[in-house]
Order: sequence, then structure tokens, then C-alpha cells
Amino acid sequence: MSITRKRVYGYLAEFKSASALYKGAEKIRDAGFKKWDCYSPYPVHGLDSAMGMKRSILPWFVFFGGMTGTATAFALAYSTQVVIYPTIVQAKPANIFTVPAFFPIMFELTILFSGFTVLFGLLALIQLPRLNHPLFASRQFHRATDDGFFIAIEARDPKFSPNETRDLLADIGGSNIELVEEED
Amino acid sequence: MAHHHVTSADIAINGDHLDTSKVAKVKSIALGVAVLGTVVSLYLLFFAPEKIRGPFAYSWLFAFYFFLTLAIGGVFWTLLHNVSNSGWGTSVRRTFENLGSTFPWVFLFGLPLLCPQVQQYLYEWMNIHREAHGNVKEHLHHVDHLLYNKYWFMNLPFWYGRAAFYLVALGAVIYGLRKLSTDQDTDPNPGTARLLKARYHSNYPLIIFALTITFTGFDFAMGLDYKWFSTMWGVYLFAGAALNSMAVIVLVCTWLKSMGHLKHVTGPEHFHIMGKLMFAFTTFWAYIAFSQFFLIWYANITEETSYFLIRNTGNWNTAMYFLVFGHFVVPFVVLLQAWLKKNPKLLSIVAVYTLCMHALDHYLIIIPERGVSLGKIKPEIFGDIQVSIPGAFWGDILAFVTIGAAFIFILIRALGQHSLYPNRDPRILESANVSN
Repeated sequence: MSITRKRVYGYLAEFKSASALYKGAEKIRDAGFKKWDCYSPYPVHGLDSAMGMKRSILPWFVFFGGMTGTATAFALAYSTQVVIYPTIVQAKPANIFTVPAFFPIMFELTILFSGFTVLFGLLALIQLPRLNHPLFASRQFHRATDDGFFIAIEARDPKFSPNETRDLLADIGGSNIELVEEED
Repeated sequence: MAHHHVTSADIAINGDHLDTSKVAKVKSIALGVAVLGTVVSLYLLFFAPEKIRGPFAYSWLFAFYFFLTLAIGGVFWTLLHNVSNSGWGTSVRRTFENLGSTFPWVFLFGLPLLCPQVQQYLYEWMNIHREAHGNVKEHLHHVDHLLYNKYWFMNLPFWYGRAAFYLVALGAVIYGLRKLSTDQDTDPNPGTARLLKARYHSNYPLIIFALTITFTGFDFAMGLDYKWFSTMWGVYLFAGAALNSMAVIVLVCTWLKSMGHLKHVTGPEHFHIMGKLMFAFTTFWAYIAFSQFFLIWYANITEETSYFLIRNTGNWNTAMYFLVFGHFVVPFVVLLQAWLKKNPKLLSIVAVYTLCMHALDHYLIIIPERGVSLGKIKPEIFGDIQVSIPGAFWGDILAFVTIGAAFIFILIRALGQHSLYPNRDPRILESANVSN
């Protein structure tokens, strides 16, 4: 017998199909749970609204990331091409009206900075990379990448209760309900 | 997904027909305005004093080409929907077809532009061609080497031939596709045969469409200054046409929904998709417009810069700056909102705004050329080259209202002819339940 201290992570329940998962998610959402998630081998269309998920804050990060890119490019091009070393090509002015020449750079840096913000903002928001996940302790959970549809409700959810939550999962069609424990 | 799942019980078995008594008033007012305006316009184009005829020719060209782009755009969306094997838009596809079906009728308003009395104020190159008695090419060889080199494309028989081609070819395309689609509405045994046929007969017409939008632009608009050329001209006009015909489609669908039509089959998801297409083409227009400007600005070739030289002079420059912000920056930011695109009323407001910007865009394509060309073509009547001709603005409004009223009449007439959505199309349920 192991002597490691363990902590309850939550309940894991399996659902028969994507549609059972979808309907189950709607019921858990309506029951008012917050700390829970669905696991499916493939994306299920509309599952985010069935889970009652709010819109991500990521677009705002990207917007300001992109704006930073535009400003950086403009500052870079303007300071070098107009202020420090004016480059006169075909008698075109080297002043603020040269801005069309900067547009490609401004566009590219907007895209680049937006792309970076998407990637790193997303990784930060979903807390990746991480080495382990408590659900990996479950023996059945590896099927989530093959043919298993799961819902896990975490114990730290204020609505969690050892008996009622298990009954709820059973009521909405969950099977193989398992109390997952993580090593402390 | 929250809304009711649409089943075949929700589809009107004999189609969803426009209640013609409800729209009779709008239709007759539009017809009255169009007829009256056409009579006045024909007088102004052919019989008025030369000082009025000249500027009004440009007004007519502006109004005609504006509405022609909307009709051509309707054909484009029909073709694209068919050829891409799409399912999302089946419930609004009839509106695409109805908008496209206005093309031959709108094209008829271009007939005055085929008359030499009108052309003499618009197309300097035609005047030079007509000065020649006998061998035109020989004449050009002595007079204008540029026109001599361009003779293979810019000659009168070919020009008229192309005009006939646009009308006949694209007119036949949209007539055939619309007929194929509406025949399905009454078929007692509807199958997929027409769907596949429409898909097949939409691929090569995309070429006809591309030729039409590009070369009507070349013939009617770019030809105003025969020395000027832009390789991005066709795609620039296409971007505006696709964007604004989608705006018209959004307006028509919202209007039909407000009268209780298109029930069950169109919802927020369809408007979301149409809004996304508007967003995409707003961005595409800006990309093309900037690229055109950028290439001309960078290369700095005399023949090419004339376009922007005219338009970035005087008050036209203010309008050009306004176009950059009004046609791109504002709708770009507004159309980013997903919730807005799902609301038909709010999206319609954006659509009306976009159409106003399209009018400004086309005004800036045609009208700044007026003061310059008229001064060049007939200085004894119009005086020196000037930035703009005072008072000519009223003619622009008259022409726009005339062809606009006719366009509304033709569109409502088309809407009333058949069911407002293809009620027996195999994909109608797929479309009604679309989620994106």
C-alpha cells in the first residue's frame, strides 16, 4: 500500500457519444458548476456554448499586440528613414507623407506581433506547457484521445459534493464514474 | 444551436411568396421616379445645351456603373455559391439570383453610353478614331502613336462587340442559373439533378463574370483617359462589387424578414456569415486599393500617376482621404464584432453605410475626370481644364436617383416572381440549421 498523501481531484464520468457529452454538458452548466471540463477525441461543434463558456479575453491581447507591432514598425521606419537618415528616392519627400512606403513593414509587424501574442497568450491562458495533469492518474482517461467522451468535475468547485455530484453524473448519462485522486 | 431545429415541416411546401400587395406602393413609386427621371435624363443627355450635356454624360456613367457593379456582384455570389458546393446559403441563394437577374436590365441603362452623341464627352479616344475618314489605323499612325499601338484593343467595332458580349453572355448565365433554380420550386419530384447541373454550369461562367467585371471597368471607366492604365483596375472594381452586392443582399434579406418572410430558414447564423463576407471584402478592397496606389506611387510613371494626380488635387484629396478611413478603417473595426453581424438590423445599418462609401468610391472613380476631360475635349464650350464643374453635382444626383429607383423596381419585381427561397432544394434544411 502506498504511503503517498493523496488529494481528491474530482469525478470523471464517461459518456457514450458526442451527443450524450453535449447534452450532459448542458445539464452541468445549468446546475451551476464552474470548475469542470469536457474531454473528447475531436472538436464537438457548439460544445463551448453547451458548456456555457464565456468569450476568451485573447482577442484583446491580440488587438493590443497587433497595435504594438504597427507602432513599432512606424517608429522604426520613421526614425531611420525620415529622422536619422532621410532616403530620397525619385524625388519623393522624406516626411510623414512617405508613410505609404512604410505600410508593408507596418502590416508585416502587425501580423508578426499578433501571431506572437496569439501563441504566447494562448499558452499562458491554457497554462501550457505543463508536465502532468491529475486526470492522467485515471486508467480509463487515455481513451479521451481515442474513442472516449469524458466530463470531469473538480472537487474545488463550490457546488461539488461527494454524493450529489456523483448522482448528478449518473443521472445525466455518465458511466464508469470514478473519483480521481492526485498525488499531493 | 439554442434555437429550434428546423425540419421539413417548417418549410413552405409551395414556396414563400412575396405578398405583392404589400410592396405595390414602393414598387410603383420606384417605377414612377425611374420613368420620370429617365425622360428628364434622356433630354439632358441628348437635347439639352452642350454645356449641360457634357457634364451629365459623366453623371450618367457614374450612376450606371455603380448599379452595374451591384448587379454583377449578385451574379458573382450566385456563381460562387454554386461552384463551391456550398450549403450554408441555400436559404438566401434566391436573393443572390434575384440581385444577379437585374444585370441585363441595369445594363440597358448603359445604352446611351453606346451613342456617339454621349461618347464624345466621355471618351477622347473615340473622338480621335472618329476623326479618321477611311483608314483609322493609318490616321492614328500620324496623330497619336499610343492609340495606334492600342488599336488592336481600343477600336470601335471591338468596343461595341465587347459591350454586346457582356450583356448577352453574363445575362444568359444568370438567366439560365436562375431558371434552373426556380424550376425546382414546383418540381413534384425534386432531386439533386438541378443542383449538380447548376454547379457544373457555374464554373466556366466564372470566367465570363471575371471578363465582364474587368473589361466593363476598362471600357467604361478606364477608357475615360486612354493614356492611363492600371493592371489592378479589374480586381479593384471586383472587390467593391462583391462587398456591396453582399450589402444589398443583407438589406434585402433583412427587409424580407421584417415582412415575415424567410421564416425558419434564415437566422442570425446566416447574417453572421454574410457579415463575415462583407468584412472579408472590406479588407480585400483596402488591400487592392492600397496596392494599386502603392505601385503607382512607387513607380512614378507619368502615364500612371495621372489618375492620382487628378484625385489628390484640391477638394478631391479630402474625399480620397475620407475614402481611406470611411471605406476601410471604420467598417473594419465595426464589422469585427461578431454580435453585431448576427443582428440583421445592425448589420443592415453597416450595409447602408458601406453602400454610401461605395457611391463615394465610384464618384471618385468617374467624376474627377470630368473637369479635366471636358476642358481637354471641348475647351471652346467648357473652358479651361478645371478641378470640378460648378453645378454639375445636381446632375449626378438626378442620374443616381433615376437608375437607383429603376434598380429598386427591377429588384422588387424579381423578388415577387418566385418563391423567396428555394423551398425544394435538397440542401434547404442543411442551410436552415447552419451553425458557424
